[in-house]
Amino acid sequence: MIIFKEVATGYARRGRVLEGLSFHIDKGEFVFLTGASGSGKSTLLKLIYHELEPLSGEVVIANLSSLKVKKRRIPYLRRKLGIVFQDFSLLENRTAGENVAFALEVTGAPRSFIRSQVSKFLNHLGLSNKAHCFPHELSGGEQQRVAIARALVSEPFILIADEPTGNLDPSISEEIVRLMIRINTMGTAVMVATHDYSLLKGRDNFRRLHLANGRLIYDGPSGNFNPQI
Amino acid sequence: MLRSFKEALLGFTRSKTMTAFAIVATSFSLLVLGFFALALLNLNTLIRYLEDKVEIVVYLRDSADAALVGLAIEDLSRLEGVNQVRYMSKEEALERFRADLGPNSDLLQDLETNPVPASLNITMKVGYRDTLHVKDVAEAAGQLSFVEEVDYGREWLRRMEILKHVISVVGAVSGTILALVAIILISSAIKIAIFSRRKEIFIMKIVGATNGSIRSSFLVEGFLKGLIGGTIAAGVIYGVTEIFSKKVAPITSFTDKYYACTMLAGAVMGLVGSWISLGRYLRRV
Repeated sequence: MIIFKEVATGYARRGRVLEGLSFHIDKGEFVFLTGASGSGKSTLLKLIYHELEPLSGEVVIANLSSLKVKKRRIPYLRRKLGIVFQDFSLLENRTAGENVAFALEVTGAPRSFIRSQVSKFLNHLGLSNKAHCFPHELSGGEQQRVAIARALVSEPFILIADEPTGNLDPSISEEIVRLMIRINTMGTAVMVATHDYSLLKGRDNFRRLHLANGRLIYDGPSGNFNPQI
Repeated sequence: MLRSFKEALLGFTRSKTMTAFAIVATSFSLLVLGFFALALLNLNTLIRYLEDKVEIVVYLRDSADAALVGLAIEDLSRLEGVNQVRYMSKEEALERFRADLGPNSDLLQDLETNPVPASLNITMKVGYRDTLHVKDVAEAAGQLSFVEEVDYGREWLRRMEILKHVISVVGAVSGTILALVAIILISSAIKIAIFSRRKEIFIMKIVGATNGSIRSSFLVEGFLKGLIGGTIAAGVIYGVTEIFSKKVAPITSFTDKYYACTMLAGAVMGLVGSWISLGRYLRRV
């Protein structure tokens, strides 16, 4: 589903950010991606949604290799991914419902389909009564749930979350993680990048990928992770 | 496409300030350009009017042989640029002189003989009413044996030519500057509007919008904003021209084609400006 083979990448100004990265994520998996700020978590996610290309190695997403993918195919690939950010990235001048609908509108989906999907996912995330609220009228947790609804509305095979709880209180953060676990149980793979390790407490069996200085130094059950290595 | 139009109209209400800014910038720029063009148009009308007055008057001696004058009329008519050669008899010329004098025409009452000479009045075709051609004809007429004097308002013609030249140079230079300023102003307004929506563009890309669909929604919006700006400019120019013509002095107004051009110019600028400004946001995948 997602395969990284000896991937290295970087930016013109920052130099190399990731090096020698190899792992794969299977269908329906739940993965925590951890590491300190600047360790390359966001960069790794950018490789998945093709905001960034590998300098060497290969990234395969849904059988589409970075070595072969054409630029104009990338939007279609992104429709199979649901992406959530720390800052929610909602459009301020659209209601919650319109924000969720937006993800389907750009794909040219029929109106009736959009309407039914939007109400299904708002309902799913407990936002039915907030459909007509603008982002500034919602709490942080609610805004993030709208962003998750938007990410899920096109029914992606994986939900990718970049520090989804970074702007939220600890209790709300926990609620968001539980929500993502629930989403995962329904078949969608989930990858959560975070430097808030408290989110992993009591989740020893969850798979954890840990980055340090642009290298993958741990890939295994969260409970066996030893920060000293 | 229909969805793009709907989106564009929604976009107007969602970012009112930016929309208003782009429309005002477009209509203001086109308005300044339009009034400038209107001024040029009226100066040209004035020049055309003055040019219509260009006439070569060939005064004939009283002794001129009518048959020879007839031949001369034919010869002069064939010269390059000559529109018409008209014979004005002594009597007719006196009448005209009298009319020109108006209330002072009493002065002519005591005359025993008619002192006003007969003349050939030569008018030139449009495009030949300049010193070069007028002088050629005047010189040809001056060589005729029965001609007393030729008058074509040499000094006046020269001044008019200088005026024409100055107007065309000043018009071209300031017109170009104004057009450039208009383009810069309009494209900056569009750039700011698009910059203010870069987050929207980012989100569009993240949820899988193709560059084509992002572009088309912004282009439709740019086109509509430009068209509205252009229409406002055309409307204001029309209104001002009408009011000025009725209340102050009749002036030459634009033809419908000009108004259509102003509206179209706005729409095209909105379209092209959006295309260019979008480029940098779409180039990155």
